[in-house]
Amino acid sequence: MSETIAPALELFCVGLNHETSPLDVRDALVLSDEEVGRAIQALRERAGASEALVISTCNRTEVYARGATLGDPHAFVAKLLSEIKGMDLTGPAGSYLYTYREPDSVRHLFRVACGLDSQVLGEPQITGQVKDSLSLAARMGGSGPVIERLLDAALRCAKRARTETGIGRGPVSSAYAAVGLATKVLGSLTDKRVLLIGAGEMAALSASHLAEAGVTQFMIANRGRERAERLASRIGARVISLEAIPVALPGADIVVSATGSPANLVLEPAVRNAMKIRRNRPLLMVDLGVPRDIDPLASKLPNVFLHDLDALGGLVAQSLAQRLAEVPKVEAIVDQELARFLRWHRSLAVKPTVTAFRSHFDRVAREELERHRGRFRPEDQRALDALVHGIVQKLLHRPTTRLTRADEDDTRGIARIDAIRDLFGIDSDDDADRDPR
Amino acid sequence: MQHLIPLLTTLLPVLYALSVAGYARAYADESSSGGRWGAHALRAAILAHVLYLSARGVTEGHLPLASVYDFLSATALALAVAYVYVEMRQGVRTTGIFVLPLVLLMQIVATAYGSRVPAGGPPLFPMWFELHTLAAVLGYGAIFVSAVYGILFLLLYGDIKGNRLSFFFRRMPPLETLGRMNVSAASAGLVLLALAILMGIGWGRLAGVPLAKDPKTWLTIGAWLVIGFAVLAYHRLGWRGPRAVYASLAGFTTLLLSRVVTDLFVRSFHTFR
Repeated sequence: MSETIAPALELFCVGLNHETSPLDVRDALVLSDEEVGRAIQALRERAGASEALVISTCNRTEVYARGATLGDPHAFVAKLLSEIKGMDLTGPAGSYLYTYREPDSVRHLFRVACGLDSQVLGEPQITGQVKDSLSLAARMGGSGPVIERLLDAALRCAKRARTETGIGRGPVSSAYAAVGLATKVLGSLTDKRVLLIGAGEMAALSASHLAEAGVTQFMIANRGRERAERLASRIGARVISLEAIPVALPGADIVVSATGSPANLVLEPAVRNAMKIRRNRPLLMVDLGVPRDIDPLASKLPNVFLHDLDALGGLVAQSLAQRLAEVPKVEAIVDQELARFLRWHRSLAVKPTVTAFRSHFDRVAREELERHRGRFRPEDQRALDALVHGIVQKLLHRPTTRLTRADEDDTRGIARIDAIRDLFGIDSDDDADRDPR
Repeated sequence: MQHLIPLLTTLLPVLYALSVAGYARAYADESSSGGRWGAHALRAAILAHVLYLSARGVTEGHLPLASVYDFLSATALALAVAYVYVEMRQGVRTTGIFVLPLVLLMQIVATAYGSRVPAGGPPLFPMWFELHTLAAVLGYGAIFVSAVYGILFLLLYGDIKGNRLSFFFRRMPPLETLGRMNVSAASAGLVLLALAILMGIGWGRLAGVPLAKDPKTWLTIGAWLVIGFAVLAYHRLGWRGPRAVYASLAGFTTLLLSRVVTDLFVRSFHTFR
């Protein structure tokens, strides 16, 4: 007789993330949609999984499977990923992979969805990526009732973490901090004009954050025209030369500069002149260049807010510290949602238990009737059958009614199922409850 | 309605205290529901306050603005109304904690000492007088709220310029919003003070009071001109930032001085005794 009466969840997770593997390994193991489809198919056909899900982003590749008949999921997934991506994970590289079994696999997924397992603590994109992975699993035939319920619970957990705690609050990158500052100084950014100086990675990142915040009017000043044109085509910007900065400056509300120039590209007199033309309207200048691109003297001018990497770094460090302080609150939410999910899963045992319980009593009654059938006259046997059947039904009525009341939040109901199965030895003589579906 | 007065007199400080607690929570923790229940408590307090003044008005036969404590209570209501007006316009609840404690304090003083002062008789031409006083009290409230936002603006401006991106920085609305809150409260105050001055002149003529010789009248007109210039500079001259805020604060200071000078240094019929 098994210890637990509920059908086993049998959910494992095997994967790697930014903590267990270097960037080149993670890059090499990012799965396309088609490759996710192949992985799900292999899990179902070769590992006997009833449901499967794959989350693959630039920071993690994780395989979740339920009901697989595998002794060593780690070895299976290592082999599978090696086959699909052509990278040998069956040897020493296999140590990049971690394995979780239930309930840790469920807890891990919830922590991932909340951003607790992300490289940037509390980042919101992962929630969307988890959601996308469910849609993909559904398209590829991997999802089923338990995985769907699991993902629902994970997304609810993530939503609670965002609304009930400060895990997603405050900027956690310099580029994002620049947007936060712009909003703090200027309010809504929808009608604001941005001058980007430089067209490298940092400038592009700042531009995309500003565009997300509602900015639509960009100018790009860069030494190399071609690179500037490439970025301009992405964000719908106008390209100007570095020499045209003093002319463009009065028209900008936000200046973000991120070049490797050894000398200042924006001098104080140019800013002073721009402020005169702007009739002293506020100007936010963010200098992400090392060394600095904007003359620090410009910060002395009224209504000019000049911030460099040091200042933004302080803001980022502050936000991260605040997010770290919120982690215990999020962990508590994860625990609550985990308990709720497991209760729901255990409640799946109700129906099969009721069926098995009734079958058990019917069988005992039938066997006893057969054993003593010769002692009764044929004309009495029909009445005897009805009598025994009636007694069994009456005896079972109350316990089965109480059992079917055991819903996902009814822990007492679950305890009753445990007791019934234990007392009547249901697990030993009936397999009907083994499949939760 | 008379039986309501003792109940409302006790209830008012309690409701204002609840609002202060709610807004304090909203300031301390943005994600809390404190702002919501603080806002509900404040609206309930305003409603109760209006009911209280109406009940006293019905009982006494005129608006209860005869003593300094009545004036204090009415000013508390005016401040609360001006704050709610700005909060509704800008949708920001993290600044309530900078206005409402003063409202609470004023109401506590008015509740504690107001009953010891015997109710005064009705003034001459009560309608003109009451409209004048009502507009003046609301105008003072709006200008005070404008000054609070002006000071918050200057503090946040200094923090951002000086890279002090601390708790205060995180809790405040955008600088641009604080500037608008400052000017929208000043604009409301400007209109209400204009009404108060016009009603006062009207009442002075009817009652035969020599307004031209009253320093309070001239100081208030002076303050109105300064505030008018600040509002005009914002809307027409495009003044932004500390310069615009200093202009509106100059108007508030002049108004404050007019009150202090009238009460302490010169003889005026505006003085409360």
